[in-house]
This record gives sequence, structure tokens and C-alpha cells, in this order.
Amino acid sequence: MNLNSLANSLDTLGHYGLVISTDEAMILTNSLLLLQTESHSCNIFFWGKIYGAGNDYYIAFGYVKDAIKGKIYYYSTDCMDWGLLPKPTEAAKSLLPLCTTKFEGNPRTIIDVLIDQEDSSLGMKFDKPTVRKLKEEDRLSATVHSISNEATIVPRGALFLRTDGVIVENKSFEGLSPLDSQELASYLHYSPPQRKWNTNLLTRADYNYALDFLDTIDMDLPEGCWTVQIRGAGSISIVSSLYWPGLALYHIIGTPNYGCVYFGDGKKSLDLPFMLNPL
Amino acid sequence: MICDDDEEPQTEDNSSSNLPDTEKEVTAAKLFMQQCSSFTGDNLYDHLSEVLNKILSERPEDVVDFFEEYSRKVKEKRFKTKIDHLEDMFIPPEQYNRAYKIMPLFKKPDNLPESEEEILADMTRNDMLQLSYFFEQSGLGLPKNEMFALLLSMRKLIKTEPVASIRFWGKILGLYKNYFVLEADLKEEECVRRNEVYYVCNEIGDEWVQLPDVTPRQLRVARQIRKSFTGWLAQEILTYPNFPGNEGNYLRAQIARISAGTQISPLGFYTFKPGGGGGEEEEEEEEEAEGEEGEGPRMKTNCFENRRYEPPPTGDLLDNSMSFWVHHILHILPQGRTSWWNPNPKVDTGEEAEGEEEEDEEKQAAAGPEPEIGPPLLTPLSEDASLDAVPAWSVRISSNILPEYALVVVRSNLWPGAYCFTTQGKIFHNLYIGFGHKHVAQNFTPLPLPFVEQDYLIGPEIMEMTDPTGAEEEQWRIDHLPKLPPAEEGEEEGELEEEEEEY
Repeated sequence: MNLNSLANSLDTLGHYGLVISTDEAMILTNSLLLLQTESHSCNIFFWGKIYGAGNDYYIAFGYVKDAIKGKIYYYSTDCMDWGLLPKPTEAAKSLLPLCTTKFEGNPRTIIDVLIDQEDSSLGMKFDKPTVRKLKEEDRLSATVHSISNEATIVPRGALFLRTDGVIVENKSFEGLSPLDSQELASYLHYSPPQRKWNTNLLTRADYNYALDFLDTIDMDLPEGCWTVQIRGAGSISIVSSLYWPGLALYHIIGTPNYGCVYFGDGKKSLDLPFMLNPL
Repeated sequence: MICDDDEEPQTEDNSSSNLPDTEKEVTAAKLFMQQCSSFTGDNLYDHLSEVLNKILSERPEDVVDFFEEYSRKVKEKRFKTKIDHLEDMFIPPEQYNRAYKIMPLFKKPDNLPESEEEILADMTRNDMLQLSYFFEQSGLGLPKNEMFALLLSMRKLIKTEPVASIRFWGKILGLYKNYFVLEADLKEEECVRRNEVYYVCNEIGDEWVQLPDVTPRQLRVARQIRKSFTGWLAQEILTYPNFPGNEGNYLRAQIARISAGTQISPLGFYTFKPGGGGGEEEEEEEEEAEGEEGEGPRMKTNCFENRRYEPPPTGDLLDNSMSFWVHHILHILPQGRTSWWNPNPKVDTGEEAEGEEEEDEEKQAAAGPEPEIGPPLLTPLSEDASLDAVPAWSVRISSNILPEYALVVVRSNLWPGAYCFTTQGKIFHNLYIGFGHKHVAQNFTPLPLPFVEQDYLIGPEIMEMTDPTGAEEEQWRIDHLPKLPPAEEGEEEGELEEEEEEY
């Protein structure tokens, strides 16, 4: 979420029930501007908040050149002092689904992850229930990266693939049209594309590789794992993920204003297939 | 160079023809660019001048990187028809529907209540704009205009419904539409068996729909299932175990569960003694006392606002132990009721003590005769069980910089989306904005299907067993020989029995 839009989140994210309070917005805007200058980032965004039992984590990211490949994440527990979020380790990534506790709020906490005897998700066999140690900072990093890869999104056209292969924010983005904004195909994953480069081009009539180089969310499984709601009498669209409850994108239709945030406890809702109605 | 002698006028130019004629070249280039495309009829010259015109008038930054984009947009605009064949048909703007719905709310109330006694409902705690400010500071909320419209529509509702007090309960997010939920206390004369009723609507300006009352069975099943709300009250709930009712019933059940779990107040705000009670309250008390007779330990089921309430200091409210916050709604027992109801009563009272639920038809097979006891009313939150090492509540201060004006925000971890804030203990409000599901640490597992039932009881009659050998049969026959002297009869009987055995 852009720093300029933090201040009036009530009228945008408020439709989803999330608000960044005046207090937080002021501190975030200013401390992130300092961070941007220190890190020489081209642009910096507020990513969201992960609730902990004792303390909450604020997450931000910025990039120097490339808006997708060059993302660098920062975290803070008080909105003021920002630290670099480490790259997720393989161990943390694989242990993440097994963590059932809440975040504590202290990055130095070491948590015990119990691996069941029959658990085969780690690709190893265990003779007896095993306990693995995981540092909360690593867990946070793995969580943030998996949310970013699976669930952060942008409206189509907001990012632009330059001819030299660098992804930049599209300065000529004029927003989605009222009809397009109701379609899931108009929202793209804000992460390196996983599908074949021409998947999008083959499905669209008005394709343009400079805009359609990312994966659309309408092909995500199971069908119905994203919802689009047009709120505010047709002025704003809210796209929310059901896999990651708490993740929402707002887009003021017909304007370049959009923002994607995650406010939640960092737990993926794997129960989704049970919760949806058969189509 | 070979020149034609016939072309006399050009002989003079021969010397200069080596040099390119700028004008001519420009004309040639222009002519080339003005060639119309055989597909679209456009030409490059006009297109470029249009693009340059657009760029120069808009003066965008770093335009060279997005030049193709600009060019494409200009082309796209050309496709739009200039002539509107549907000129006579007026298409209203998208916002029209909402404007139409919301306009009646702005009209001044025309028929004011005649006497003071007719004053409709307690709206003192519903200054939505003030609440909206507090919500915002707590990090949640609705857009300001929605809050205002909500207040207006609540004012409209209390004119038509017999409610004694009303409150904004929260918002449930659905897949296609969301529910705004109001909680209301019915007036005494209407309130026969029920404490609270809930009104929902999808969009502010729509009619408020009163939700049907919940049954204990619905509550019990709601605990075993997990289903997203769609936004349509009549939506069928397809789950196992089968939910008795549609989405409206499910919504009501979840609201009851959320209320029971997360409606909290600062310590001392409510008390068991009626704070200057009128006659009705006493009667109510008596009625309850009668109803509760013979039901084991007497549980207090009602609490009243404490007139001599003094807010606890902010530091105490912020205490992580949560002992300065109490539940003011009764816990729902595993049975699905707030007070124990004996499924096999010796004396048929025919009525429940606590009036929240309606009579339920089904037989209480699962509930044992041992009365289930929940925590009493006004139990501090510190007594809440933590689920799988997840502490039940987290408490935050809305501002670390200005603690003297800050709000205390309590967030439920068991019901993500449930909040309670208080301004230094004075004003407090419980609000729920979320999907309406409880936190599960381990992932949700649907109930396993029951074992395949048997047609008949397993017993020796239907068990397969080895046939007796000839020797055994002979032995049996000899053992069962009648001891009486008449030998013929005995033999006959024996034969008969043998036949039976074989058969």
C-alpha cells in the first residue's frame, strides 16, 4: 500500500473492516520515508500487519530497481525502528505449515514445532514424534514470503514490463473500468509468474505482454478462493483472499489508486475447501 | 547521370538535383505516412500527431518508457463510436440505486412520538460518528458515510420495531455480500422468552431483516461445521453433520456464539444488583427464580448496569492478565444452551429457565444427566481457557505516544475480528468485523461419518459356526435321550430334533 494512501484508509480499506489509525498512519508514513532514504529504495510500501499475542509486527517492502524481483522486506514491532527481514530459510518454509501457535511478538523467541510420527510433509521419516526449533524471525519471514507469493495482488495494468525486462510501476495506469473491475481476470499476482509466459495472452482478447506478464488470479484453485465485491455504490472494488483471511486489495475504480494489505495472524486457512459451496 | 534532353525546364536544376530537395523529401515522407492502412483506414501521420498531442498536453513523466502504452490508448479511443444510437435511452449512473435507497433516510422524522413515554428506543450509545472515530483509532471500522447512514437507518428501524434498546453489533463478511448486524433488546411486553434479537441487512438502506431465533441443536451443529457466509439469508447450508436450517439460522447461531464468547465489559460496569430497578425488573427476577427451581446450583443469568461504576485505571485495563475485563453474556454450554436443561426431567416443567432459546423438538440423546456448568456471569477474562496454547485475548493501547488520550483495545484471538475498545474505561463498545469463524489451531476436520449400522443385533442366532460332526450329533442325541421308559417317543423326539439341527 502506497504511503500516500495510508492516511485515508478509512474510506478505502474500511469497506473490508480494516483501518490504519491516524496515529499509525502518521508514524508509518514518516518512518518509512526515512527507511526509503536510508535504503535508497525507488519506492516503499506498507505491506501489512501480523498480529502476535504480545506484540504486533508491521511489515513494509521496497525496491530499488525492479518492482517484483527486487522486493526487499522490512519489519518492525513498534512502527518506528525497521529491521531487514531475512530471506526465508528452507527449514522455516517447510516447518511453517506445522506451526499452530500464534506469533509471540518477539522475533528472538524460539518456538518448538512438533512433527508427528506419521507426518510426511517434510519428506523425511521419523521414528518418533520429533521437536524442531524455529526462530520466530524465520517463521515471520517464511510467512510473509508465502503470503506475498500466494496472495498479494495488483490490478491489471498497474505494473509494466519494460522492454529491457525490468518491471516498473505503470505511470500511465488509469485504473480498471467498472466492468473489468468485477472480473477476477483483471487482478494479477504480485509475484514472479509461475505459469507459462503466454497463458495470459491466449486467454485475453486485448492482450498486451507489457501488462499481462503476471499470473491472473482467476485460475487459482479451488475456484472461489478469491472474492470481488464492488462497494461504495460502485466506486471501489475490494478483492479478498479466502486462503489468507485478512488479505485485501482495494482499487478505486477508474483511478490509479489501489493498495493491498494483509492484517491477520499469519495463518493460512486450509479449511477453505470445506467452507465453499459446491458450484 | 543521363538526362533527357526533352526535359528542358529541369536542365537548370541538374546541378542541384544531386542535393536532396528537403521540401520534396518531406512531402514524400508525409505522403508515405499518410498512406491509409488497408485494415483500419488509419494513417501513421494522424496517429503520431495525435499521440504527440496527447503527450504534450498531459506531459507525463518518463514518457518514453510508456510510449507504446500511450500509442495503444490513442488507438483504442478511436474504436469508440462517435454516434450514440441509443441516445434516447438514459442509463442512470451506477450510484443511482444507492442514492434512491438512501434518500428516504435523510428526510426529517415527520411523526414525532406524542408523549415522552413513547420515546422509542435507547439510542444513547449509538452516536455512530463518535464511535466511528473510536473504531478508527482502534484499527477497524467502516467508512464514515456508511456509519452515518447506519445511524439513520437504525433510527428508522426503531420506529417500526418494538425494541427497547439497539446497538451496532458488527459486520459479517460474506463471499458475495456482507451482513450488517444490529443487536436489539425487545420491549418488556414483547420479550416473552427472548433476550436479544438481531437484525441484518446487506446494504445500508435495505430493509432490516430480523433473524430467526436459534435452537440449541443449531448451536451444537454450528460448532461442528465451518462454512463461509454467502450473503443470501436463504442459502442452503450443505454440510455434514446436516445443519438444521438455512444461512439465516447459521448466521444467528454464529452471532450467538460470538456474542457469548466475546461480549466483554470493564470490571464493575455491570453488577448483579439491579441499579435502582423498577417493578418490572424485580418481577423478572422472581420469574427467573421460579424457573430455576430444582435445577441445582442457582446461576445468575442477568446483570444490570452499575450506577456507581468507576472505571478501572487504564493501566489495569491494559494488564495482560485480563482480570479487569469480564464477560457479561453467559457461556453457551456444550448442550447448546446458556443454562442447563435436564433432558429427562422428573417433573415436567415444560419451560426453560433461561429464555434465550426456543423450545426444541429433538430428543437430547447425547446429553448426560450430569448438569453442565459453565463459568458464571461476570467472570474475568483471565479465567478463559486458552485454546492450544493460544492466549484467548490480546490487549493493545491505540497510541503509545499519547497514552493519556489513548484507547484500550482488546482483541479476541479465538474469534478473529472481535474487538472491544474503551476510552479510559468510560465508553466501551464491542464490535465484530470478520468472517464469522472461530480460530482453529489445528485445521478443521469434519466429523467422521458414523460406522455402518447393523440391520439386526449380533447374537448366536445369526452367527456362522461350524457344523457339528456326526459324532457330536450322535452324542447330543444320546445326551438328550428321555429318561422316561417309553423308548418309542424318545426316539421320535430325537429324530425331530436332529432334523431341526440339520435344517
